[in-house]
Amino acid sequence: MFKYLMQIIGVFLLILLVSGLPIMFGIDDERDVVFRPEVLVIQSADLLTDLSQGTLGTYWIGRTERSIADDLVSFTEQSFILLLSSLLIAVISSIVFGLFLHHNRLSRGVKRVLDFLSTIPDFIMIMFFLVGAIAFYQMTDIRLITLSPFAEGGLRLWFPIVVLSIGPTIFLLKMVDLKYYQVGGEDYIRTALAKGLAIRHIQLHHVYKNIKPFLVADLKKAIAITIANLFVVEYLLNVSGITRFIFGDYAFATAAIGLGVLLLLSVLIYGLIRGILYLFERGFIYE
Amino acid sequence: MSSVSRGRFPVSFWIGSVIVFVLVMVALLGPSMAPYGVKDQVKVHSTVVDGKDVIVSPPLPPSAEHLLGTDKWGYDLLTLLLYGARYTLFTTAIIALLRVVLGTIIGLYIGMAERRQNWWISIENAWSYMPVILPVYFLLVRVNINSPLSETELTLFFIAVVTILGIPSAVSSVRQKTEQIKEMPFVTAAESLGAGREHIIVRHVFPQLKEQLMIVFVMEIITVMSLMGQLGIFNLFVGGTLQTFSPDLYHSMTHEWAGLIGQSRGFIQYKVWVFFAPLTAFIIAVAGFTLMSKGLQARYQMTYERKPFV
Repeated sequence: MFKYLMQIIGVFLLILLVSGLPIMFGIDDERDVVFRPEVLVIQSADLLTDLSQGTLGTYWIGRTERSIADDLVSFTEQSFILLLSSLLIAVISSIVFGLFLHHNRLSRGVKRVLDFLSTIPDFIMIMFFLVGAIAFYQMTDIRLITLSPFAEGGLRLWFPIVVLSIGPTIFLLKMVDLKYYQVGGEDYIRTALAKGLAIRHIQLHHVYKNIKPFLVADLKKAIAITIANLFVVEYLLNVSGITRFIFGDYAFATAAIGLGVLLLLSVLIYGLIRGILYLFERGFIYE
Repeated sequence: MSSVSRGRFPVSFWIGSVIVFVLVMVALLGPSMAPYGVKDQVKVHSTVVDGKDVIVSPPLPPSAEHLLGTDKWGYDLLTLLLYGARYTLFTTAIIALLRVVLGTIIGLYIGMAERRQNWWISIENAWSYMPVILPVYFLLVRVNINSPLSETELTLFFIAVVTILGIPSAVSSVRQKTEQIKEMPFVTAAESLGAGREHIIVRHVFPQLKEQLMIVFVMEIITVMSLMGQLGIFNLFVGGTLQTFSPDLYHSMTHEWAGLIGQSRGFIQYKVWVFFAPLTAFIIAVAGFTLMSKGLQARYQMTYERKPFV
């Protein structure tokens, strides 16, 4: 319990430290390095007093001042939908293509495509998808994507979700694929095969169970990758998500709140996906 | 893949190496190969075409005089790319090299330590969840734009920041491998023959790491390049950003490739060569290093592979 408490405090301080870097450290016009940790302490204290009184303050977009509290919920919701859907796509497709359809031709094709995509840096891929979707619209008049944050429905969100899911899918699929090779070479698999158990049975009861700890361990890393891509995806595809607070016009309070919310979101999503995996096991493995 | 025999480099490695060799040449000789000076500018002027006066205003499309065209302010794009290549290539290579060298030294010693160094492992764990772009962004955002520092100073600052922030992950991979090797019978044998820690590290552990370190080095180059690209999108360019106001425009001071992409993002639909010239150059560079790392990895896998039963 004490250890967890320490970790939570450590993470909290890290968020304040990272988001406070610009006010703490700088170089002035006389080319001197300015290092003022006390400003960070004062502003953190201000932020905490604000929070304890239930107000969040305001932030600026260009020349309009907006209340943080008004936008926080809708921004968080957008980011939550993006993160959860793309991570679900990543987890499901890595299990399906990496494990159950390991020898399937379709899955080999998927792996080859993802292998190719993994060589292209994400931001370049997003730009190419954009150019492609616009060219498609000009040729056929069919609108695949829209960048307007006011548009309703799936048209607005499917594209960011797909783009965002590519990074974690590549990461998890590679891991599952590699572990399949390692676990598949173990003696207990050979024994099971020699006893005449069906391949599906072995995959579900022996391979999956032995891959799962690695999947869960790498899930945290996959969430970190998705969040790093979320910055670029939300910025380039004009999604009004929580990263607006972080990469908008800089203010300490907004950046700290943005990072804090992002952290809470990732913990929540980690828990949800663990829950879904648990249900899957209850339903199919332990029945 | 099966056509690759053990111990030989696959074709992708050689293609990648040729691309990287050409890039290094371009980076070294770029400015002397450039067709124009880096400050030469095509201004708005009129010429006579078919007996009529025509006003020529940049950006000029690719032509015989300007092979890749010019940007919005009339600077020759090929020249800018040739001048910027050294910043793109050498900055990434230096960062990757520093990360690998420092990571190896620290990782070897922590991995060989008698007891598990839990304090370091918790740092590693915590840091592996932090997207590196975040601290880099927050460190640069107030320093890099319209800075009083020179281009060289800003580049050195960038190198220092990105190197230090990337060390934990480099240490992590070396440490894990070291801990595996430490358990091997030949290390135990050397220990029982009375070999000291330094001797074991230099003679037994490090030689086992060499192949992997090469892979890590090339992968770090790719990581740093894509980090530079991401920062370019947020208008933080290596070697400094010059911001001009009303309208807000951002210019790369060093003409580094990721910076050129970032500053010409507005040309994605219209007069596309301004955007696609630096983008293509950047993609070729990334592709070169990627092919190289793929080749190295394929060779490594061929050497140590184990076939599954199902």
